[in-house]
Amino acid sequence: MRRLIENRFGLLALVLVALGALYGVAFVSRPAPAAQVRPQAVRAPVESVTAVCPAPSGSRVSVVTPDQEQQSQEQQNQVQQSQGPGSATLSAIKTPEEKAGGKDDVIDRPGLLWQREIAAGGGPLVVDATGSMAAGLESAQTVRETSGTQRGLAGVRCVEPGAESWFVGPGPAAAEMTLYLANPDAAPAVVSFMVYSGEGPVLSERGNGVVVKPGQHRVIRLRDLAPSPLIMALQVSTRSGRVAAAVKAVLGEGRGVDWLPVAAAPATRVVVPGIPGTAGQRELYVATPGERDTVVRIRAVLEDGSYALKNKETIEVPAGSAASLDLSTGIGGQPAALVLESDVPIVAGLKITGTGARQDVAFTAGAASVDLGSVVADGRAEGKQTSWLVLSAPFSAATVEVRLVPSKGAAPAPVEVKLPAARTKELRLAPPKGSKGGFSVVVRPMPGSGPVYGGRVLDEGAKDGQLLTAQPLAMARTWALVPPTVDAPGAVLP
Amino acid sequence: MHSVTAIVVAHDGARWLKETLAAVLRQTRPLDRVVGVDNGSRDGSGTLLTEAFGSGNVLTLPRSTGFGEAVHEVLRRLPPAPGQEWVWLLHDDCVPDAHALQALLWAAEQDPKAAILGPKLRDWLDRRVLLEMGVTVSRSGRRDTGLEPREYDQGQHDGIADVLSVSTAGMLIRRDVWDELSGLDTALPLFRDDLDLCWRARTAGHRVLNVSDAVAWHAEASARRRRRIATSEEHPRRLDRRNGLFVLMANLPFGALVRSVLRNVFGSALRVLLLLLAKQPANALDELAALGSVLGHPLRLRRARKARRKGRKQGWPAIRRKLSPPGAAFRRLADMVQGFLAGAGPVDSAGRHHAAADRAQEDDGDELLTDSGGVQRVFSSPGVVLCLILAVITLAAERTLLPGLLSSDGHLGGGALVPVTGGASDLWRLYIEDHHAAGLGSQTWAPPYVAVLAGLSAVALGKTWLAVAVVLLGCVPLAGISAYAATKRMISYTPARVWLAATYALLPVTTGVVAGGRLGTAIVIVLLPVYAALATRVIAGSRRAAWGFGLLLTVGTAFVPLVYVLVAILGGLAAVSFGGIRRGVRRSLVIGLGTPVVLLFPWLVQIAREPGRILLESGLHDGRLTAPRLGADSLLMLSPGGPGVPPVWATAGLIAVALAALLLRRHQMIVAIGWGVMLFGLLVAIVVSRVDDAWPGVPLAFAATGLLVAAGHQAHRIAEFRAAGGLRRLGAMLIVVVAFATPLAAAALWVTRGAQDPLRSDLSDPVPVLAALQSAPGEGTLLLRPRDGRVGYTLMRGRGPLIGESDLEPPREATDRFTTAVAGLASGRGSTYVQTLASSGVRFVTVPGVVDPALQRALDSQPALVRVSLSETGGLWRVAGQVTVPPPPATAGALHRGWLWAQGALLVLVLILASPGARTKEPDVDYADAPAEEGPRGRRRAKGDKGRKDRVPA
Repeated sequence: MRRLIENRFGLLALVLVALGALYGVAFVSRPAPAAQVRPQAVRAPVESVTAVCPAPSGSRVSVVTPDQEQQSQEQQNQVQQSQGPGSATLSAIKTPEEKAGGKDDVIDRPGLLWQREIAAGGGPLVVDATGSMAAGLESAQTVRETSGTQRGLAGVRCVEPGAESWFVGPGPAAAEMTLYLANPDAAPAVVSFMVYSGEGPVLSERGNGVVVKPGQHRVIRLRDLAPSPLIMALQVSTRSGRVAAAVKAVLGEGRGVDWLPVAAAPATRVVVPGIPGTAGQRELYVATPGERDTVVRIRAVLEDGSYALKNKETIEVPAGSAASLDLSTGIGGQPAALVLESDVPIVAGLKITGTGARQDVAFTAGAASVDLGSVVADGRAEGKQTSWLVLSAPFSAATVEVRLVPSKGAAPAPVEVKLPAARTKELRLAPPKGSKGGFSVVVRPMPGSGPVYGGRVLDEGAKDGQLLTAQPLAMARTWALVPPTVDAPGAVLP
Repeated sequence: MHSVTAIVVAHDGARWLKETLAAVLRQTRPLDRVVGVDNGSRDGSGTLLTEAFGSGNVLTLPRSTGFGEAVHEVLRRLPPAPGQEWVWLLHDDCVPDAHALQALLWAAEQDPKAAILGPKLRDWLDRRVLLEMGVTVSRSGRRDTGLEPREYDQGQHDGIADVLSVSTAGMLIRRDVWDELSGLDTALPLFRDDLDLCWRARTAGHRVLNVSDAVAWHAEASARRRRRIATSEEHPRRLDRRNGLFVLMANLPFGALVRSVLRNVFGSALRVLLLLLAKQPANALDELAALGSVLGHPLRLRRARKARRKGRKQGWPAIRRKLSPPGAAFRRLADMVQGFLAGAGPVDSAGRHHAAADRAQEDDGDELLTDSGGVQRVFSSPGVVLCLILAVITLAAERTLLPGLLSSDGHLGGGALVPVTGGASDLWRLYIEDHHAAGLGSQTWAPPYVAVLAGLSAVALGKTWLAVAVVLLGCVPLAGISAYAATKRMISYTPARVWLAATYALLPVTTGVVAGGRLGTAIVIVLLPVYAALATRVIAGSRRAAWGFGLLLTVGTAFVPLVYVLVAILGGLAAVSFGGIRRGVRRSLVIGLGTPVVLLFPWLVQIAREPGRILLESGLHDGRLTAPRLGADSLLMLSPGGPGVPPVWATAGLIAVALAALLLRRHQMIVAIGWGVMLFGLLVAIVVSRVDDAWPGVPLAFAATGLLVAAGHQAHRIAEFRAAGGLRRLGAMLIVVVAFATPLAAAALWVTRGAQDPLRSDLSDPVPVLAALQSAPGEGTLLLRPRDGRVGYTLMRGRGPLIGESDLEPPREATDRFTTAVAGLASGRGSTYVQTLASSGVRFVTVPGVVDPALQRALDSQPALVRVSLSETGGLWRVAGQVTVPPPPATAGALHRGWLWAQGALLVLVLILASPGARTKEPDVDYADAPAEEGPRGRRRAKGDKGRKDRVPA
């Protein structure tokens, strides 16, 4: 030992041995590369929903809250259960002062479709739901006229108030376009409009700073804002507060009527789903609100595959303007969805024209995928009326469970639909024999599915021409994704 | 015709007496009579006297006889001589010049009224130093020679001066005047008897002259405690003070006496306070005792005053002119403070005898401070040059951070550092308040580093950002200075110190600290060399160094608790290895390691309850700031991982050189210790690096310190090798190249990569301006930031979080409730959650940066939230309804308050004990033996010597 210490190399050797040992300890104790576990958001039932039916007078209003689905054990673990019973009330829109409105309709039974014909006259209806009635509450208004300028089927989802909505369709020069605004909240909303026409953005003094006070609603003729556009994209946004917006298009006597569905916010990839397999014209509207011209690549997702349409592969959209393209020869008569891709964010909508001497129109628009499921309140199969469900899986294969919720009687067994990748399927929705009245449709992609888009189309083969309305599937307000939250003082840092 | 009788009084003064006697007998004016008095000497003084003067001329008196008494005794027995008779009084330690008597008598002839004459007194040891040229007294009873401490005699005061008094050492007095005044007062056996006598002589109309042509060298043996005083048991200091007061009060007329009493009571109180502050409790006690002793015996005073009544009032105006002017007291106080700050201890230049003033000790890091050669000298000092180079490197590396720092709206932050907002007062409030309203409210006591930071901010004129920027961004040059100065005593070879300091300052840990915004480790890195330097002195047994060490360790521990563990383990090892060898080491170690425990006690208890926190440091803990899978090679190369760390190979040169140092056989002990510290630090670093969110910066800095000391200590051998030439020279060159490769590579890498990220200096205030303006007091702004699939949130009340607020713990129940509500808000599933938030006082919800669409949708869907703004830089929502600010709970903060006071008191105590103020050494140099000997010598030695002296009762 003594010789080791006195040796010139003794200490060096000792140190090297110690270093080697420490290296070994560090090497062995080095943890295995742990896969970054992204904390998963927890699904939780929505606890309160407010929706506004913009102009229900003379319409049939359908309200439904589907039953809580049977959850597998695994799913139940990551789901917070809802908080007991709740109810939904239907009431005319009211200012906060006049709370004590008498004859509100109260719905407290989930799992059943509630429908009522609303008498003519009166303003928007507010659907307020809490508790168990809130999770998945869906409501819609549908009106059927067989004559006059309003002839046709016209339906719209009752929308939640929000800060921004987009509508894409014909312009005020081509149709009588009416904007319905309603503010069911307690705070006033300051609303601005922006119209993008085929010639570029339309700047209007009158489109700025419209104040909608709590409980108020307004009807605005878009011709007053921008009289000239033949096609348009309308952006309704609020500087403060929230507003429920809806746009109705009346094309004129014998040319049809319908509501424009809310289009998905500008994005570089937009899917326009829910194009039915009926015959008739199909006209695509695309607008880019940005400051760059763009070329939008169009791909159709059909029953037999997904491909670009011949001679209609692209559409050029100048900056800040809208463009349209007739796709009748490409997708007419086939159930379809369109996938539009562009380098700059775009919004898109589609006009579906029915057949017959007197035409009716329907609109669909860019929509989000229905990852958490979707509910359509109004489905009909009475007389000559037919309901179709057009489902598309444009990117990867999916399996979808489709369930009908009748207004009366027992619910039929759910149907499972397999969607191969880049295919569209059209389902005819038929309630079980014996059940009367309307029904609702609940669509739920099964776990492991790719993004699913879809739409519901309602048509009626009247003698003088087909009546038609359409509605892209919107994400159901059944579930909210509750993100994991953590009290982190470091949140102040970027 | 004069007749002169010399009286030499000896008392244990053999070591000086021989010279004194020779000088007396060698006078050019021969003495008419010589008398020696031996006051019971035990060292053979009596024999010396007998040999010199003959047995007939020597009187032996008891040991307790005072000087005055002895002279009285001689004169009582001595028959009068013919002519004008003079008595020349001499101490045994006073050597008159050969011409002294002649000069005194010549002066006496010039002035017939002169009754008392004294020579110019110079120091025995350093014979050019002036001690006295006449003494006066201040109104507070202090001796005043009117000379600067250690003033050299260059003839600047020469001449015959009319003075208030002269010392009895070499005093020539007319015998008739002696008899008239009845001589020295025997009530004053020592000190100030001369003043009393001269005062009385002047009152009686005589003159007191100081004759500079007559020179005597005086050892002031009694005043400097060169010998034991047998006449009194009391300390000479107390005796001196008491007699000073007594003489003053006995001789002053009544009106002046009253003023003097008041002045002295007040002045003494002040002085006692100052002495206590300067850690000289013995002096303070003496001061009090002296005053008490004078005022406590009014009868004695009255007797003395009665004896001096004659002519006192008439003589007063003349005497008053001779007292030192009133402004002198202030000057002395200023000198004292100055001396205290300079580390020389409160030199009471006039109150005590002159040469007691110590030679100023060389201070730590002196060479950085010496500016005697002006600019050139400063810039040729390697330490200054190194510091400048490091500063330039730092500025170059932090070039992107500086603009934001200088602009008014940028905040420094990122990594572990919250954006720095607020000032020193905010931090103080955070530290002392019982209930923290910030966030969800918290009752936990703020961590102690907040107080340290508040102190630093106060130094930086209340600007916390400035203090943080200097410490954090200036961490590299500060570490360099600290390492350079701290190694002064360890390593004498300057190039090695420069290399060591540069390498230390540019360690991967240091650059990582800057990039990661780790304020705590930055402070520890700067302090670490100081710990090492102080530790060597603690091991040497220095008590003061131990207090200082404890204080600095407290600071480091407050920021990074792990420092304490590391130091305690090393300290324990040191106690085992050195405790038996050197006395007092164990005690110093206990002081050094105990101080942090006492000062941080409640906080340490908290830490001990959650042992995981020992490994964490102050600031935010973020997994992105650490490398969870830090490789073994990184650890061995002292790289702690995380942002801002250079590639692994950057430190290879350091390791290689330190390994090479092992091959040298001399001083292997130090190298082994250095490597031991390295291996120990490395082991701890491995453990720390395997814990989530913990960063092994501090243990690796420890390890690097050990390595650097090991390598630096052997570096002087390079010079030898280079001188040896040939192959060795080549080897030396190689080693130098390898060694300097490390700091150069680190600096180059740092400058090219830049120091920023995640640390930034252009952060905006987390509370949007609008929210800050529109919030009522107490209302909060909720900040949401989705990151990695999680939504992080924090609640701010009117301002961004302060440094230290992230370590407060809000009540668990409230946090859970709030977290659920925030989750509900972020999911958009219902509207009731906003109400929960509003009941906690949330007025605004802000999402900085580009707002995630899902989150935006969720917030927009809340009926109770109104969107205020939304842009690329963030979104802001306002709660529309009623917002209630929860009232602060009623707290009984007595315990906290009490602890804060206690902590403050303890801190002051430790500061006093650690401050260099009382570095007064009791001079224990053996006077006659080795006048030149003056080395650093601890107080311990002096005390030991004193203790060993047998105290023989008189």
